[in-house]
Order: sequence, then C-alpha cells, then structure tokens
Amino acid sequence: MVRLFAHFQASVGKKMIMALTGLGLAGFVMAHMLGNLQLFEGPHALNSYAAFLRDMPIVLWAVRIGLLSIAVFHIGLALQLGMRNRRARPVEYTVHRYRQASIASRTMAISGMALLVFVGFHLLHLTAGVIDPGFNDRLDAEGHRDVYSKVVHAFQNPFVVLLYLAGQLGLGLHLNHAIASSIQTMGFEHAGLNRLLKALGPVIGLIVVLGNVAIILAVFLGIVR
Amino acid sequence: MTFTLKIWRQSSPSEQGRFVTYEANDVSPGMSFLEMLDGVNQRLLRSGEEPVAFDQDCREGICGSCALVINGIPHGPDQGITTCQLYMRRFSDGASITIEPWRAKAFPILRDLVVDRSALDRIMQAGGYISVNTGGAVDGNVLLIGKDQAETAMDAASCIGCGACVAACKNASAMLFVAAKVSHLATLPQGRPERARRVNAMLDAMDREGFGSCGNQYECEAVCPKRITVGFIAKLNHEYLRAGIVESGLPNEPESPYAESS
Repeated sequence: MVRLFAHFQASVGKKMIMALTGLGLAGFVMAHMLGNLQLFEGPHALNSYAAFLRDMPIVLWAVRIGLLSIAVFHIGLALQLGMRNRRARPVEYTVHRYRQASIASRTMAISGMALLVFVGFHLLHLTAGVIDPGFNDRLDAEGHRDVYSKVVHAFQNPFVVLLYLAGQLGLGLHLNHAIASSIQTMGFEHAGLNRLLKALGPVIGLIVVLGNVAIILAVFLGIVR
Repeated sequence: MTFTLKIWRQSSPSEQGRFVTYEANDVSPGMSFLEMLDGVNQRLLRSGEEPVAFDQDCREGICGSCALVINGIPHGPDQGITTCQLYMRRFSDGASITIEPWRAKAFPILRDLVVDRSALDRIMQAGGYISVNTGGAVDGNVLLIGKDQAETAMDAASCIGCGACVAACKNASAMLFVAAKVSHLATLPQGRPERARRVNAMLDAMDREGFGSCGNQYECEAVCPKRITVGFIAKLNHEYLRAGIVESGLPNEPESPYAESS
C-alpha cells in the first residue's frame, strides 16, 4: 500500500488524483442539480427532500466532510502542479498562438478560482444562511424548514441572480474541459468511443448548467413563486 | 520575395537574449525556411557579423534537429512537417516573421535559436530501450506480431524527438514524447517484460528534468511533425496506472534487476 502511494507521487499520479477528485465533485454537482430540480414540484417536495437529507445527520456530515476533503485535495494538487508547470517555462514566448486548445481548457485555473469563490458564497448564502438570514428558521405547514421560500426569496434579488449565473458560467466552462480531460488522464482511450468521450464534457456541463439556470431563472422571472 | 525577420539572438546560455530585426531579400518562393535563413547568414558573414545559429541536419524531416518557433507556432504554420520542410511560398511577400527558440526550463538555450535537448536523451536512457542478451540474431518470424499492433507501434515509433510537443505545450510538458516512446515498446512483445519499470523510470526522468505536466489541451498533437496523436498519452497514463497496481503487488525488487545473473 505504501508503495502504491509512493507510486502516485509522480506528476502523472498527482494528475490522476486530481482527475478522480474532480470526477467525484462533478458527480456531486450532478446529484445536487437533480435534487434541486424538485423545486418545480412545489414547496412540499423540496422541503421534505431537505428534511430527508437532514434526518440522517451522520450520512449528511460524512458526505460534507468527504466533499470538503476531496475539494482540498483537488485544489491543493492543482496549485502544486500549477506552480510546477509555471516553473517549466521560465521565459515566455513573445508571440504565442494556440492551434487547437479550447477556450475552456485555457481558462481552467480562472474558472476553478471563480468556482471556489462562488461555492464559498453559495455555502454562506443558502447552506449556512449567514448572508441574508431572513428565512433560516421559518417552518412550512408540515413543520419542515421552509427551504422553498428561502430559495424563492433569494432568486428574486437581481444581484444574487447575476452572481449565481456567473457561477454557472464558471461551472460550465470548468466541466466542459474537465470531464473528457479526466477520462484521458485516467488512461481510458478507445478509437471507436473517442468522439463520445470527448463530447461527455460539453454535454454533462450543459445539462448541469441548464438545470441550475432553470431554477434560478424560473424564480427570477416569476414562473415559480 | 522579401521578409522582415525578428530573430532571437543570445550569445551564450548565461547572457541575456534579445530580438534583432533582419531583412531577408531575394527570397525565392521555392526556398525552404532554413535556406532562407542560410541566405541571411551569408549576408551577415559578408558584412562581418556573427551568423544566426540554428540547429539543422538532414533537411528532409527525418532527423528532428531543426527547431524554430515561427510566429508563435513550433515548426511554423503548416501541420505535420518540420521547419526544414516549410517553404517560403507559405508566407505572403513582405511579411514580418518572428523566430524564437523552443522555450522550456528543460531546454536551456545554448546560442541564438539552438537549445540543448539532451533532457530527452536522458529520458530515453532511463527506460526507452529493451534489454536483450547478446548472441546470434533471432530467427525471422519467431515473434508473430499482429498487423494492428505493428501499425500502432510504428505510429508511436515515428517520433523523431524534435521536442515540438514541449515547445507547444503551455506547461512545457514532454508527455507526448514519453507517451510515444512508452507506447511504442509496450505495444510490442519485446518491450512487454520491462513495461512497468520503463514507464515509471521514464516519467520519473521527465519530472526530474523539470518538464511540466499535461493539461490535455492537445497543442502538442497539433504541432507534431509526425502527427503522433494524444491517444498515446492516454496509453501512457494507462501504462502508468497499470504499473502502479502491478508493482505494488510484486515483491521488492533488488537494487538493479538486471545485475543478478550469476
């Protein structure tokens, strides 16, 4: 086991850990989006879903701590590899032209940092309720915490909506490059499946972003109230 | 044709380099890029100036010596060729062309446009070989190799080690080079016995030389004169993962696994 860990000390091993942790976070983002779509089923569905999650505190906190440690590894390795990569070219080219690198792949560091800031805001805003604590303790008719009203209240504010939309842009950009890139880093390649694998990033990214944006805009435009 | 050239001049590894502008006159469209530079150097020699140093040898796209970043792209605007195979008809008359050396920490500049690419040789020395006992040559067709395998190995083996992949990569990573070498040998039965040790040794050497890591932007593939595909990088990653799992289950290796013959 020690040797297995030692093996992954090389830069490729670190990249693999980054890829796996990234895929884990992408999986969470998918599940998070699907869970939140219950907003469209009305207050009862969303509030009992929230109550269901809070009813199992051990699982909830295990997942939270798991996600946090995954994110710490992902970001820590990104910084470590990023600094190494910078050192690898001390003198930049005077003229540099890209041939086929996508916009998403060139902005991974920026979209990643934007996501970090956004996730921090989001946790303080809707999870912890530090920002805008108005609806924190309100209960609905069944005695559940009224998450539904809190979300609806939040996305009626145009500044919050803009911030969340910007966050979604960062998320979409990041996922666009991340998923196919992770598959490549994990050494999975198949002549027949390559086009499908390359499309996974944009497709999954688009699905997640569209799902999340639907929630934000549905509230903002008054479709869900 | 006439061109305005902005060329990187640096008299020694320790000196500060700078761009110097030269005029290239009487260039024929059929001249290769290196022949055009030869013309510039002839004029510099006549006027008693130091000619521009650049690497070149076979001038037919096989040796991998020529290494110029032309207008920000290693080996210039055309795909699948080396600098020596680039012709001046590719540029419009009167164009201004910027010429830089490969830029990477692992490729220190020796002089002007010449860089020291021995880092790639050291990666090869770490594991880019097979260990064969000396003796009579093996009979033909003893090892049967399928057509697909042979083709894949040949595709990988066509790497000429020019270093354009490193030059194009924003992280100055040598992954495509290592991938080609590792894939070439791992695909063939002769290379299989040492595959786990090889991939680890070559990747360790790559890290040691100060190359960056792969960002999967695939710029390397776009500039490779031999059109080596990034699928080989996935293969390299696969080999690395496989080596980690295989090796962690093996008993500890002796100091040198090949020094134990009695």
